[in-house]
Amino acid sequence: MFSKPSWRILLLSTSTILGMGLSAPMAYADIPDENYRPVLTHLLGNVMPSKLDAFHEATQTLGAEFRDFCDDPDKDGLDDTKTAYHNAMDIWQEIQPWRMGPMVVNGRDQHIEYWPDKHGTAGRQFRKLMFEKPAAYTDPEKLAGASAALQGFPALEEVLFADDHGAQMISADEDGVYLCQYGTAIATNLATLSAELQAEWPEFAAAMQEAGPDSMDYPTAKFAATDLYRALHEGLLIISTQKLARPLGENTEDARASRAESPLAGRSLRNIEHNLIGLFAIYDGKWGDVGAEGHGLAALIDSSLLNRSFKLNWQTVSDTVSQLPPSIAEVLEQSDGYEQLSDLKGQIEFLTMLVENDVGGNTQLGGGFNALDGD
Amino acid sequence: MEKQRRAFLKLMGVGGAFTLLPTGLAHAAAPPATDDRAVYISASAGDKGDYYVSAFNAAGKILFEQPLPGRGHDIGLRPNHVDVAAVERRPGLYGLILDRHSGDVRAKLHCPENRRFYGHAVYSNDGRYLYITENDFDHARGVVSVWDAVDGYRRVAEFDSFGTGPHELHLMPDGEHLVIANGGLHTHPDKDGRTPLNINSMEPNLSIIDRRTGNLVHQAALKHDWHKLSIRHLDVAANGTIAAGFQYQGDLTDQVPLVGIWQPGSEIRPIEAPDNVQYRMRQYCGSVRFDASGQVFGISCPRGGLVTFWDAQSHDFLTHIAAPDGCGLTATNKAGEFVGTSGLGNGWRMDAIRRKRVELPDDSHKSLHWDNHLRRIQV
Repeated sequence: MFSKPSWRILLLSTSTILGMGLSAPMAYADIPDENYRPVLTHLLGNVMPSKLDAFHEATQTLGAEFRDFCDDPDKDGLDDTKTAYHNAMDIWQEIQPWRMGPMVVNGRDQHIEYWPDKHGTAGRQFRKLMFEKPAAYTDPEKLAGASAALQGFPALEEVLFADDHGAQMISADEDGVYLCQYGTAIATNLATLSAELQAEWPEFAAAMQEAGPDSMDYPTAKFAATDLYRALHEGLLIISTQKLARPLGENTEDARASRAESPLAGRSLRNIEHNLIGLFAIYDGKWGDVGAEGHGLAALIDSSLLNRSFKLNWQTVSDTVSQLPPSIAEVLEQSDGYEQLSDLKGQIEFLTMLVENDVGGNTQLGGGFNALDGD
Repeated sequence: MEKQRRAFLKLMGVGGAFTLLPTGLAHAAAPPATDDRAVYISASAGDKGDYYVSAFNAAGKILFEQPLPGRGHDIGLRPNHVDVAAVERRPGLYGLILDRHSGDVRAKLHCPENRRFYGHAVYSNDGRYLYITENDFDHARGVVSVWDAVDGYRRVAEFDSFGTGPHELHLMPDGEHLVIANGGLHTHPDKDGRTPLNINSMEPNLSIIDRRTGNLVHQAALKHDWHKLSIRHLDVAANGTIAAGFQYQGDLTDQVPLVGIWQPGSEIRPIEAPDNVQYRMRQYCGSVRFDASGQVFGISCPRGGLVTFWDAQSHDFLTHIAAPDGCGLTATNKAGEFVGTSGLGNGWRMDAIRRKRVELPDDSHKSLHWDNHLRRIQV
């Protein structure tokens, strides 16, 4: 993996290049409002729907795998179900930072993944659930009306990865049968939630693309595009201040992998890796095999040097994450694990600063007299 | 009182945000006024670190710009008098008394060395006393200073605000009590005077004191889980209902209420908007203002670029109107109608009942960045 000096040197070097090129005070002309509209169309109208389709497909597969496994439980079936969980979670982690519109309606993002769970609500409710085994929670429709902590990926993670739940489901004892039914209901409910997201997105995307003075929601295309910029900015902040800061704690003694996201599935850093893919798509416009490079927020940046520098910096951080094990627990077990995670947090914070200064400044989406400095 | 009734108008906005017609206002809502002769006044800024108190008319035409030595915040209006008080935002050192017609400086207030102004001021109904929130920074204690306008704005008393980091304050309808939003945040001028130093231990509250004695009459706080909700801004309806806007100091993803309604003597009742609006409020409320009827109040959310509207009787969220970088907010003399300003230079007339937003037509106000609060002076 990248050592600390190497990424710092790389980031500094690109910053220095930029500093040389851009050191003179710059007066930016206002970007015409119409320039923001193609970015909205590309990201919200073209790119995101494909990803929502993929997410829905992955949750459907997850539900099907769970049902197959529970019909005739064995280790292969359990492994297939876990694989389906990881596949669905990978896509979810990519779209998770796009927190806007249908993603947050009716607490949908929390129903899909209730995290962070600062008060240990999910664990408490799960223990009570297993004690009482109410039939209602094996019905996906009724589960949809239950506490968010008992729905979605963290609840499914508990079923699939915690303790000896896998063995119990294979042995089909009383707990195992209930876990199978409950897990299937969660997976089915996830498919319902992803279908709702898929169905509601086009109306939201159209409203954003049709931003104008008559809209009470989005009076300008620039204002609509601000939601994308904020998703990018806040997505990075959430990685550093929650996904990494929570397990890191105050110091090495205080570090706890259990405070990370998806600790039982051992994929806390894999989540961040996929978050970064989804976030970079907002900037770049290309998301896996969907979209096109340079059609995201980058389309609004008139400096190719700055664009190259930003992408290089992002790649450095992505490489750092991809070269770490997927589990934060595994990293913390290493002698320099805490330092590695702290180092990654520093890199994310550096990226956040670049987003604020370079992307926010050049796209003119990061400002606001009252928004930035109110009282 | 007319029995509660709600008329569902129509689904509006994206993702399920809707407009409810507040009780009793079905026939009161009016189209945007063209006969408004009031003067609107606010702190403002230019592009070069230059700060002003500026006034404009209902069309948005600038009437005057009075330069300030530093960034202002809110404006206190002296009843039946030409004076208005512009107090520097925290950590403020100056206060200026201006002529509301010309902006001319009529008096200067100097903050004691061991205090800092916090941007908000309010006069007594008889116009004699001016009350200003301040920080006693060495003791992490909020205070309310009292200045005698009849005696050359002499500082004549100082009361405890009964909390830390007092911000907006208002006179209660009886004219004898002050309600203070103690934001709970301790700051110190040696550490820039703005950075919170006590987020983990902050204890915001709403306090009502006797304006003559300074005695505490009522106090309420949110439950401890929400102690990071800094209670910063408020307004008071004629019936004594207090609406408050919060600014959250915790995580972006925490689900917390951002608006509260308080009937003194009871608990603060937190209220929330539908998720997609609540999310867009971005954990931060700016100005709070009741409309002319006292039934609807608006709360601006500059980080989200929204103004949200609420029914003070039913405690329902009514609707929201996008207002990029909008923060200044004041009520006109028509039920459900407000004027808002933004840091981008916009001025709007907004109708919370019909969910309409109309730009003020005169462009002269667009050259300024309008600061957090806006006041309306009835002519």
